[in-house]
Amino acid sequence: MKKRIISIMMATALVAAPFTSYAAEDGSDDVGAQITVDENATQDVTVSGDYSDADLTVFIYAQDHEKAVYQSLIDKFTESTGAKVTFEVSTADEYGQKLLAYKSAGDMPDIFYVGPDGIASNVDDGYLLPLDDYVPEETVADLWPAIATAYRYDGSEVGTGSLYCLPKDLSTFAFAYNKTLFDEAGIDYPDPENPYTWDEFVEVCKQLTVDKDGDGEIDQWGTANALQWALDAFVYTNGGHFLNEDYTQVVIDGQQEFIDALQFFADLTCKYGVTPTYEQDVALGGYQRWLAGQIGFYACGTWDVAAFMDENTFPYEWGLCAWPVGSTGVSMTRNGSVGFAVSADTEFPEASAALITMLSTDLEGQRVLSGETTGSSIQIPNTMSYAKGDYLAKVQDGTIPYGDNVDVIFNYIEGTDKYKGIFVETTYTYNADWWTEFLNGGYEYMLQGEETAAEYCERMQPIMQDALDNAIAMKEAAQ
Amino acid sequence: MSGQKKVKHHMSAMAKREERTGLLFVAAPAIGFLLFMLWPIIFAVLTSLTNWNGAKGFQGMMSKFCGLNNYVKLFSDRKFWQTLVTTTIYLIGIPIGMILGLLLAMGMNRKIPGVRILRTMYYLPVISSLVAVSILWAWVYNYDYGLLNVIIKTLTGMHGPNWLGDEVLIKVAMIIFMVWKGLGTSIILYLAGLQNIPRNYYEAAMVDGANGWQKFRNITLPLLSPVTFYILVTTLIGGFQVFVEVQVMTPNGNGGIGYSAATIVFYLYQKAFESYQLGYASAIAVILAIIIFIITLINFIGQDKWVKTIE
Repeated sequence: MKKRIISIMMATALVAAPFTSYAAEDGSDDVGAQITVDENATQDVTVSGDYSDADLTVFIYAQDHEKAVYQSLIDKFTESTGAKVTFEVSTADEYGQKLLAYKSAGDMPDIFYVGPDGIASNVDDGYLLPLDDYVPEETVADLWPAIATAYRYDGSEVGTGSLYCLPKDLSTFAFAYNKTLFDEAGIDYPDPENPYTWDEFVEVCKQLTVDKDGDGEIDQWGTANALQWALDAFVYTNGGHFLNEDYTQVVIDGQQEFIDALQFFADLTCKYGVTPTYEQDVALGGYQRWLAGQIGFYACGTWDVAAFMDENTFPYEWGLCAWPVGSTGVSMTRNGSVGFAVSADTEFPEASAALITMLSTDLEGQRVLSGETTGSSIQIPNTMSYAKGDYLAKVQDGTIPYGDNVDVIFNYIEGTDKYKGIFVETTYTYNADWWTEFLNGGYEYMLQGEETAAEYCERMQPIMQDALDNAIAMKEAAQ
Repeated sequence: MSGQKKVKHHMSAMAKREERTGLLFVAAPAIGFLLFMLWPIIFAVLTSLTNWNGAKGFQGMMSKFCGLNNYVKLFSDRKFWQTLVTTTIYLIGIPIGMILGLLLAMGMNRKIPGVRILRTMYYLPVISSLVAVSILWAWVYNYDYGLLNVIIKTLTGMHGPNWLGDEVLIKVAMIIFMVWKGLGTSIILYLAGLQNIPRNYYEAAMVDGANGWQKFRNITLPLLSPVTFYILVTTLIGGFQVFVEVQVMTPNGNGGIGYSAATIVFYLYQKAFESYQLGYASAIAVILAIIIFIITLINFIGQDKWVKTIE
């Protein structure tokens, strides 16, 4: 087993950077290097218009296969419209710094990436062109409502107002289970229609937490989710929240819904023992343990599907299920996205908008990126008509390899009476420093049972409030 | 002075040409210094007086002028003080590295078999990529699979500590790593210093009946003091700028549990490139530069008291 763990660690250490705004937070790495894109994959793409005067610069981050798809689409665009396009690609890690350099130099690319959490600050600083007059209404109507909302801003509130981006992708952070381990333990698979309560979840996790080789040490656990990306799924389902309604106050201190959720999250480790201990988690993260077949339940982002379907990476049967539900009875998780934005200073707004419409919604491009052409799904399609039509049919008939219960993904994206995907609260504040403070406060002591959730919240609230006040001051200064 | 002017008036055409060529040669580093050192310093100081977030270039920056506000905030910033203290704690590694470097250099200053291989081995970490060796050491310190804990378990039968997951131990781990990484430089410099000490000093001391310790205390140590001074100054300056180790070795690059391993440059980086508070980050940079300047100044002022030369 150890040899296998080391080989997985080495393999995952070699692959490239994340591809969505928060893709690698779960410790996962993508399988981008393994996905090959047929250079003729986008040959049926059509675009109309004469933009022969346009000279555009596109600056994004992408992995090789994504770059190949976008390059192919851009080539078609230049051929069809006569526009000249300079395509610059960075890694996700370097993207923020390079974009900052563009901003500092006052020389913005015509097209670049912005996530929902960057909409307010970029609009306030005058960088983004409203797309309402440039993108056809039917194109916007075919986007997932969650996307269209995330990229709207009215000058004070994200979610309403003008549209500023077309999506590169929309992802959600669903929950997955290892069917092989369930079979071994003789447990019924989770029912996506009836999500576990927290108590039921703990009971199942206890059955999955075992010493398999009989050496006296636990080597398989019920679950193993890092707080920085999994806590939301417990807080929001319990009716908790970090901030007040207008995102001006940190309200975790004394808020029972939040404290109970945080304590439950910590108890999974320090009370119920159904996760690796803090020390074990530092030694080897949950993602590697999941790939090694040591974990029953683990988070599954839309970008993870290709890796989990790759037998060399994850040689187990698996399916999707709901995150367990707290007091609201609704299973909740975070959605994520990054979008194509057009610079407010561009000399060629029509050409830029036409190009991002193509990059974001062109059917042939979407077929490649969502896995219909390549067989490796790393995102769901941006357009609902394709996603709910051909794409879903091809997942269900096995043409596109996917784990069981793909409906779970769609449920979180669209929202049902039992499922809801949301953009987390950092999306609506000027920066995420208040959240960073929460992570830097030493929450690990809670996981070790040395501090209660109530004590942690009481200790961290003023520190987080300071950071939030600072962000509000920065926003006011920018406006 | 007037004599010099007179000479200049009578310079030949060739001498003038040579002077112009000479000035061109001087101009290259001078312009380089002005553009890439002095201007960024001035720019950083100006930035530190603003709430600039990187937007709208120089004009955008100047429109966000806030006086000394960043400095006022800085002095009540818990993380600033925490990271400053942590950075200072890491400096403990400097004397340890110097003592070890000196001892190893003295050991390698003898004609023993394989000494060249040993010298190469000790120098390898210096020329290795800092990121690569940081990843390597993160594995050495791994709680379950790390070399260190495997050795501890083999020797004691007990599981070793959580090196990178404990507020105190992570600092110890960082110091050990930094000492290892810097040892090669100290060794090479001390080795060169040792080989510059004339043999006849030791021979004379031997004739006078001096023992090994006396020779070390009264000849080696004083005559190595310029090297010691050089290592001290350069490692102190470098010690205040630790960043990569923290970024790579702490779990998820988060600065360690409770931010316990984060250094001041790590904090500066997060403020500048994750929060886009370039003004605030520049204020941190300016304070850091002042601290380094003062410490270096103290070193230079104090050197007369302990730095000796052969002359």
